[in-house]
Amino acid sequence: MLTRFLTDVRITFNPFSARSKSARLFLSLIPPNARTEGMKVEAKMLPRTSQEPANLAVKFKDGKEMNLDLSKMRITDVMEEVDRHSRTLARKEELLGN
Amino acid sequence: MPPRIRVRPRALCIRCLESTTPFSRPAASYASVATASATTPAPPIHQTIRSAPPILRYPPTQPPSHKPPEVRKTQLHRQYQSLLRSSPLILIFQHNNVKAVELMSIRRELAVALRKVDADRLKSGQDTLAEDIRLQIIQTNIFASALRVVEFFNPEEGTLDHTPHPTDPRTSTSAQIPQTSNDAADERFKHGLSRRAYEVANNRKLKLELEPILSGPLAVVAFPSVTPQYLKAVMSILSPSKGDFPAPTRRANPDYYEPSVQQGLQKLMLLGARVEGKVFDVEGTKWVGGIDGGVDGLQAQLVHMLQGVGGSLTSALEGASKSLYFTVEGRRMDLEEKEKGPEEKKE
Repeated sequence: MLTRFLTDVRITFNPFSARSKSARLFLSLIPPNARTEGMKVEAKMLPRTSQEPANLAVKFKDGKEMNLDLSKMRITDVMEEVDRHSRTLARKEELLGN
Repeated sequence: MPPRIRVRPRALCIRCLESTTPFSRPAASYASVATASATTPAPPIHQTIRSAPPILRYPPTQPPSHKPPEVRKTQLHRQYQSLLRSSPLILIFQHNNVKAVELMSIRRELAVALRKVDADRLKSGQDTLAEDIRLQIIQTNIFASALRVVEFFNPEEGTLDHTPHPTDPRTSTSAQIPQTSNDAADERFKHGLSRRAYEVANNRKLKLELEPILSGPLAVVAFPSVTPQYLKAVMSILSPSKGDFPAPTRRANPDYYEPSVQQGLQKLMLLGARVEGKVFDVEGTKWVGGIDGGVDGLQAQLVHMLQGVGGSLTSALEGASKSLYFTVEGRRMDLEEKEKGPEEKKE
């Protein structure tokens, strides 16, 4: 997964729900140095009884915000969604020539 | 040493089959093979009148297991089973790409905090557990499987039930030997790696309460007994919160604020806990950590309460009997006075 272009990741999930698996896996995909390099990561855990779906809010470097409902998505789908915008950013960066 | 004579089983078989045919070719080329059945000695007398003592067909500490016992997976499975059976309180964390250095410094801080609790407990003469509490990273799927075995596999009868009693004069040995065969499929095995345990645990209709939690990278902290004192120390190090479990202050413990520790703690999330077979979420875990004095404290509270109940109960019961005693006594006095009354008048 391309995480270079993420500046802010907020995840809310209920660990006792089977549908929050992709939320937890998304957290484990964030590289070990990301937090020190300026990415803000916030994971909020819901109490066990809550029925709220797992939610992911991502901000990109160009200011675009993305809000995903993770309860119906597999981790590959989530990665696809996030990577789609990251790839366009990567292409722009390449064309600017660095 | 007598000369070794090769026996060819196939040749023997051919001879058995073709014995009816008139032209049998010489199957066995050795004379001794042909007469082998005739010279089999009768079993000794004592073998015919009493049964042979059972023989253990495997090392007593290594009963046959369903999966190959020498591989790492099997040993981890066994280790996790024993961890789950021996620790009533287990905290479950998720670790997201924690680096080795960070993990090392977190473990160091945890050990320091636990040793402080140890010193406190030694003063009050309680046992210390700091050596046994560690942050351990687990293989999630093997742990889940081990938990299934621990939860669902409850072998009822012992394997030693059919063995003759060691004091029985008919037995030739005093050792208790289970009559299980050296085969993993034996139904009587009751260890967690047996085939029966595997089959019971693989029943997908049985659902674990912890099932949704057991995915992704996990680490556990296991406590050998439910001691909120230690739980509090661990929680305040690994998942500090403002109210109940404050992190050590910068002045008290400057090492805790090293970047390697803090960066590692950002990636460590408390998911829940398993306390004496029951599953708690983060709030529940905090509640368990907030019990003062632990199990002993709760027991003391209960005893105190029951003592109060007993005291009031005895006083209530006593009250009834006392009042009865007083009325009866009063009535007796009354009667005596009445009896005395006329006598006095007569005099």
